[in-house]
Amino acid sequence: MNRRTVVKILGAVPALAALGRAGAAAPASLKFSELYGRVTVRGVEYSGKIKSLAGQAVSMQGYMAPPLKPKLDFFVLTREPMSTCPFCTTAADWPADIVLVIMPPGRELDPSTRGLTVTGRLEIGVKKDDETGFVSLVRLYADRVDSA
Amino acid sequence: MRHALLTAALVLSTAATAAQLQVYPYDGARLLAGQHFDLRIEAEDVKDFKTATVTLDGRTVDGLTRTTTKPTSVEWTLRTQSLTAGSHILTVRYSDGAGDQIKSVRWNAVAPAAAKAKNVILFIGDGMGWNTVNAANLIAHPYNPANGMPTGKLAMMSDLSSMASVNTSSYDSALADSANTASSIATGQKIQVNALNVYPDNTADTLDNPRVETISAMLRRAMGKGVGIVSSAFGVDATPAAFASYTRRRGDYSAIADQYFKGDVQPDVLLIGGSRDFIPSTAPGSRRKDATDWIEGSQKMGYTFVSNRTELNAANATKLFGLFNIDNVPSYLDRAQYKSKEMLGDFTDMPYLWDSAQKAVQTLEKNPNGFFLMVEAGMVDKYEHPLDWQRAVWDVLELDRAVAWAKEYAKTHPDTLVLVTADHAHSLSVYGGYDATKGPGKREAVGVYEAAGFPTYGDKRDANGFPLPETDRTYAVGFAAVPDYCETYLGRRIFLDPTVSNGQTGTAAGYVPNPKICAEGSVQRTGNLPPTSNQGVHTADPLPLFAFGAGAENFSGMMDQTDIFFGVAKALGLDATKSK
Repeated sequence: MNRRTVVKILGAVPALAALGRAGAAAPASLKFSELYGRVTVRGVEYSGKIKSLAGQAVSMQGYMAPPLKPKLDFFVLTREPMSTCPFCTTAADWPADIVLVIMPPGRELDPSTRGLTVTGRLEIGVKKDDETGFVSLVRLYADRVDSA
Repeated sequence: MRHALLTAALVLSTAATAAQLQVYPYDGARLLAGQHFDLRIEAEDVKDFKTATVTLDGRTVDGLTRTTTKPTSVEWTLRTQSLTAGSHILTVRYSDGAGDQIKSVRWNAVAPAAAKAKNVILFIGDGMGWNTVNAANLIAHPYNPANGMPTGKLAMMSDLSSMASVNTSSYDSALADSANTASSIATGQKIQVNALNVYPDNTADTLDNPRVETISAMLRRAMGKGVGIVSSAFGVDATPAAFASYTRRRGDYSAIADQYFKGDVQPDVLLIGGSRDFIPSTAPGSRRKDATDWIEGSQKMGYTFVSNRTELNAANATKLFGLFNIDNVPSYLDRAQYKSKEMLGDFTDMPYLWDSAQKAVQTLEKNPNGFFLMVEAGMVDKYEHPLDWQRAVWDVLELDRAVAWAKEYAKTHPDTLVLVTADHAHSLSVYGGYDATKGPGKREAVGVYEAAGFPTYGDKRDANGFPLPETDRTYAVGFAAVPDYCETYLGRRIFLDPTVSNGQTGTAAGYVPNPKICAEGSVQRTGNLPPTSNQGVHTADPLPLFAFGAGAENFSGMMDQTDIFFGVAKALGLDATKSK
């Protein structure tokens, strides 16, 4: 990546801060390590913390997985920067602890390689996106996406 | 010369309008007498199709099912065919509006041999080329610094009955992937990249391609032998899948999982990672799209189910199904040395490959007809791709411990053949020493020739007696085929991808060195792969094959990968014309 590209991406992300809800209470912070209680061969169990926060506003820090398109109405937030695009192959191997971030209707985001802080309403449960076939376990309906 | 040019021009102009005929098995195919295959003939660019006749050795082939998948094609299929020993010619006489054509393909069917062995244990180190085995040997058996003499050899290299060097290639490329290479070992055929035990076809359905029967299916069908499949990778990954499934696309994970229990092999022992393809879609973390639950379903079929090392070691079953992780089983270093929550999660009691190999043999040997067991060290390749040579090499050491056990078994069971080989290579190379006290990421710490000295691996040992990767004087190890990445020369306890996305899409999409690794102190290496490559790739380098015990003499010299199939069939005296 050349320097000009970096600057362009950095410039794009803070613009989204304008989405923020003025005067809202500080959302609870949720870490990737707190998503799941136990993972066994029979599947994943949600943690007590994530179950108690479901439906509420939370804030998470992570990275954007390689994007599918140049303007994003949704993306995958990961614990570490990744090189695998979860949407690009039908059977890609991506970590279990990923979070689907859905942007507000009509609001799209530029791809970014920087660390991000996403704030939004938390939803849990198995859900399949009809358009992409992507199955998610944890979703954030974003209010804000900021550079971390 | 002028006449020759004119003739060539005429041939070209005819070819431009004639239909394109494809026949599978392909011209030059070598099969085992009695080995099942699907005959498939495809005509593309058809203009007003008239007639076609198909003869095998001059006699008309009846029963072909004709289809037309698109207006410009005609296909014929005849499934589950086989040949008698000897050479055969299949001829297609085809006629359409563009004229008449004749296409002939030659096949050779190999006659059965007298049995030398009753059992085969086949170890496959995924991505374990000669160079990777060598790196593991250098680390496990350091040189004596007093005289430069070797202090030992890997078990897989010691007391050999025979040895070969194996070349790889696929049906459609000089460079191979695990699907076609494992399929070549399983069927004796050249197979397309990404395909498992099938030939190409012109339909979009990946599960309807013409199939060719695997060694495991034949040993089951013709000799009633037990079959076992063990892997540290997720269980529907290409190498284990090649011994029990058929598909054009190795990513048909749910279909592959189903074929393990519904296909023509149905292994008696299946000990793998990757439970997410065997649990219903309603279980969070499942990769399936249906309600199939093979943990429950397998138990109804009489399998004993185990999910950790303790349960595995206690099992006393005749049919055994083990799932030890929701994804890949983590590397040996993560299981035995680092033991970090980040890398292991809740899976803290996973078997070593030698546990699984031993239990598989103890389960399979209850079958009086003998057995075929494939044991894959799947994580060697999984960590060579992202250039993490330590994790890859220590998984070779884990494999070697399993081989040591199998060699002992073969000594007390002299009717057992043990083979150790790989599916394809990676470009890993040991090129110097590295003074870890000066690193990470300092080129000045690389020592070449006598400045490399003798690394100090082995000064400390883990609970299994294996050396630790962290030592003052290590080897400088790198890969020839790389993306842009940051080289630190040293490993890390928490795995990191060497590259991350550049955040671009479409033609601008590419990868950049992982900034977290660059921040550790590193040398940035300019890649030599296309900017769209995010990791290292397989190479065309040769592979070792080490053979022990009965029938080992079938494996020597320079071999093509497909020869391994015929060597195993010969050692076991497989007569595929029979059905038990």
